[in-house]
Amino acid sequence: MKNFTNETIDTSQLPKFEEVTFTNLHPKYIRVVLINLVRIIAIVVLVPILLSMLKPELFSARVWLILGIVIPVFSILLVVFSIIGCKKKGFAFREHDVLFKHGIIATNTIVIPYNRVQHVALHEELISRYFGLAKIEIFTAGGSSSDIEIPGIEKEQAENIKQLLMGKIQKQL
Amino acid sequence: MGADFSQPQRQSSVGIMVMFFYTLQQFARALWPMIVIWVFKFEEINKLYLTIGIITVFIGIGFVSYLKYLNFTFFLDAENEEFIITDGVFNKTKTAIQLRKIQQVNINQSFIQKLIGVYELDVDTAGSNKKEGAIKAISHELALELKFRLLENEAIKSEIAIEETSLEETEQKLFEAVHPFIKISFFSLLKVGVTSNYGRTIALLVIFFSTIYENFQNFGDESNVYKEKVGSYIDKNLVLQTILISIAFLFGIVLVINVIRIVFKYYNYKIARQKGSLLLSFGLLNTKSTIIKPEKVQITTVKRNYFQKKLGILELKIKQATGGEKEERKSIIEIPGCSETERDSILKLLFHKIPEKRLTLKPNFRKLVFSVFLSIGLPLLGFLGIGYWFEPLFFEYSYVMPIYAVIIGLIQYFKFINNRLFIHDNFIIKQSGAWDISSDIIEPSKIQAITTSQLYWHKKLNIGSITLHTAGGNITFQLGNYSILKQQANLWLYKIETSDSNWM
Repeated sequence: MKNFTNETIDTSQLPKFEEVTFTNLHPKYIRVVLINLVRIIAIVVLVPILLSMLKPELFSARVWLILGIVIPVFSILLVVFSIIGCKKKGFAFREHDVLFKHGIIATNTIVIPYNRVQHVALHEELISRYFGLAKIEIFTAGGSSSDIEIPGIEKEQAENIKQLLMGKIQKQL
Repeated sequence: MGADFSQPQRQSSVGIMVMFFYTLQQFARALWPMIVIWVFKFEEINKLYLTIGIITVFIGIGFVSYLKYLNFTFFLDAENEEFIITDGVFNKTKTAIQLRKIQQVNINQSFIQKLIGVYELDVDTAGSNKKEGAIKAISHELALELKFRLLENEAIKSEIAIEETSLEETEQKLFEAVHPFIKISFFSLLKVGVTSNYGRTIALLVIFFSTIYENFQNFGDESNVYKEKVGSYIDKNLVLQTILISIAFLFGIVLVINVIRIVFKYYNYKIARQKGSLLLSFGLLNTKSTIIKPEKVQITTVKRNYFQKKLGILELKIKQATGGEKEERKSIIEIPGCSETERDSILKLLFHKIPEKRLTLKPNFRKLVFSVFLSIGLPLLGFLGIGYWFEPLFFEYSYVMPIYAVIIGLIQYFKFINNRLFIHDNFIIKQSGAWDISSDIIEPSKIQAITTSQLYWHKKLNIGSITLHTAGGNITFQLGNYSILKQQANLWLYKIETSDSNWM
């Protein structure tokens, strides 16, 4: 009881989550995203070509024209948005919580206090693994909308982050 | 109390009957196509075989239910603090539930169980979507006693000591515990039935109206000559009358159905207090009973519309923590037809004080503009587009457009007017809705994560959105003063991070 105080909190003096400097994703992660995009675009391009070889009557000059315009525009937009999206993503670990920022048109920032984290998972996908990158997932009890997925972190760093988080969770328990 | 749960014990012996009916039900469900065929070929079937067959099936089911009864036992393992259920005739299953993981113990009574005079006891834990343990047939006293034991395991040892000294005292205690402090009267339920679910009623009316109108149109097309000759005056009057009567009739039917549904569901709604928890029981045919522990409550919603306000009733909805991580199951408990004082006493029990409002946040007018664009602008553009390029016939229905715009516009306007976020040190209240105005109340300590979001062209305007994630769902407030929202987020985070407050 002796140490108990109950002073008014000066809300303007509180640490501000909006002033935190975010760490960007690893630069190599853009390559992972681009390789994934190339796969998607390749499928979009190859399917009509294969179809035209099997059934040439389906593809008139007009269809080719539309495809010829739509596919490149779509691909360029996809690539540009993915690169911007990648650059806009960022994470930060504070003393008491983890922050993740994402979004191109809207900037979304999600904050999870460590004492609300349920568990942490580390994923390595095939292409990411080739570049030595991993993905960290942080789960809360608030359902899928309040979970954080941080891709493009170096494997070693990801392991460290996971250890850090596990340590924080253990301490809370 | 004589009940000793430390030894494995069976269900009450009339439970065989319940088992019998349930197994019969299962069989009937599995074999219904065959049964249907038999019914149609009733004449052709040898009656003797049929009778023998039926008798065999009944004896078989009876035997199976007897075996099920014999093999179903439950007991409380005081040492490991577990509740253990063993069941299964050939495949034995042993379910051990740790007492401290038990979230809810429900005592229910289905129609069959009501006939036989036994109750069902369900044990529910966080962690999976199934009811982990269910005892199908148990007497009411035993069920209450078991529920008491399952939920009061910390106090179990002292409880036993007291029980030994005075039997009657405990009984008295149990009686007190079950004594309700709120009862929702039949009259209140009638009021709820009359004043709720307008959306459904209106939708039904619109469908009805449009069908009638279409038929009328068709009729007009085909017998133009007839119409012109006889004169439309009488005809129109008659039709108008019929339509009005039908609307009144339909409205009446919807109301009656609504009232019946609500009375069946919530008849004899009783709320009792037991050591800080709420004990609810309700239902006409199937009596349900649940327990709410205040610390497990995530979101409490108070809902009422204009008529309900005039009649002095409101509806409470309580959302508890969802089970596992990625489960959608939300245990929502509804309390219909409370008065304001009853609401206050329930809220007081849940939050230890009545929620207050201090800081009020309003959404920016852009929210109204945007929702009007989404709900009126886009559909009308789509309508015009289709009419212009594809189907000119569409324009014959263009009179619908202004009606639609006015109705939806009004709804959006009221939604905007009612959308508020109230912030107090201990509470966050979000008010929303056009006709049914609901207030979602949460405590800051229940927040799991906070998302803030801002469109880049809103940066200069200083408006943005916030979503508070809880284990019972999300609360979102859009286009409010962003600097206040950020400041509040910082404060809430600070509160969560500096205390070990239990969110569940």
